[in-house]
Amino acid sequence: MSDRRLKFEQLVLPHLDAAYNLARWLTRNDHDAHDVVQEAALRAFRFLDGLRGEAKPWLLTLVRNSCMTWLKANRPAELQAIDSHAAELVLVDEDTPETISLREVDRRMLNEALAALPAYFREALVLRELDEMSYKDIARITGVPAGTVMSRLARARRLLATSLRAIRKASTQRVHG
Amino acid sequence: MTHDEAALLMHAYVDGELDPAKCLELEAHLAEDPAARAACERLRELSGAIRNRADYHSAPHALAAQLRESLPVLPEAARSRLRWRAWLGQAAALAAVALVTWVAAIAYLRPGDGERIAQEVIASHVRATLANHTWDVASSDQHTVKPWLSARLSFSPPVADFSAHGYELRGARLDYLSGQPVAVLVYQRRLHSIEVYVRPARDAIAERALTRDGFNLLSFARGDMDIWLISDLNRNELNDFARLLAQSP
Repeated sequence: MSDRRLKFEQLVLPHLDAAYNLARWLTRNDHDAHDVVQEAALRAFRFLDGLRGEAKPWLLTLVRNSCMTWLKANRPAELQAIDSHAAELVLVDEDTPETISLREVDRRMLNEALAALPAYFREALVLRELDEMSYKDIARITGVPAGTVMSRLARARRLLATSLRAIRKASTQRVHG
Repeated sequence: MTHDEAALLMHAYVDGELDPAKCLELEAHLAEDPAARAACERLRELSGAIRNRADYHSAPHALAAQLRESLPVLPEAARSRLRWRAWLGQAAALAAVALVTWVAAIAYLRPGDGERIAQEVIASHVRATLANHTWDVASSDQHTVKPWLSARLSFSPPVADFSAHGYELRGARLDYLSGQPVAVLVYQRRLHSIEVYVRPARDAIAERALTRDGFNLLSFARGDMDIWLISDLNRNELNDFARLLAQSP
């Protein structure tokens, strides 16, 4: 096995799950997630010499860039929607109550609410909660300052709570209606 | 801390990403505000719910195998880059050796503490002489000089009068050596001035005699004080003076 293949095997492949998880949450379907990860992994193989520091955030940066390219080509509307949401965080009191009872929220509701988040907020939350990346790594992967990571996470969680509340209300109405 | 600020920082707090200073600030805010405390708790729950209940999409088993198969064969350019990298390794090794040598040489050639302070004493002495400002308090009376110094320093330097032995107290000034205030006593022997630098002992200084730039220097510890003498007086008389100083009460 060549040096490069060995390095790929040791540095890139162990993070394939994280890569796929991010791509799957951003493309929201298995087929495209598969293609995006494959493309990113091949680029990782080609640019393995450029790897400095930890492999995981480096690989996720490549995956994230592939996802953005894919979104631009296939879901441009989603990226436009992102821009309007990316406006500076404004805190409104009505916006803050994560007062939903989480005990009544099941897996389906959570997945639905997370998938409904605008992409920039979705990626921040997925990287943070599902892959447990640090703010520093998320900043590097998504190409924004760490302060923006914090405000995006804050906004993402509020949007998610609001969305969960709406989903729960709808499902209760279906049950009782 | 405002309500809005706390509501934002709370996220970094729950994520364990808040710096210690802000952390304390926020905790103080939370201690006073039950509503903020409850919001923080809900945030923790939400974060936990996402972690535990949202789907984690692991890569399909076939993906790794497909990737291995689709990896391109190393192009020639990559091999020449490997050669270049090997050369780089040797260069790095050489550079490392050079660096170690350089650091060792610097450590070896660097003036020791004694030498450094001697240079500072000379500089201070020359500066005072050139500026014609050798003392802040002019007095031959030890009972004037000592309280004047004690009032301005965090220690009380020994001040004695040796006029009976031909060393006359002329005055004193404050100066600064190695980042520490020092007392400088000025004595006179015929036309020669002798400066006595005194500061509380930091680490045991070596007793040593030096000649630099035409000045004779002596350093020694006296009780809990470190003392440097500098003068253009001859070495023998300076030694006599040092003995007097060491024996003075």
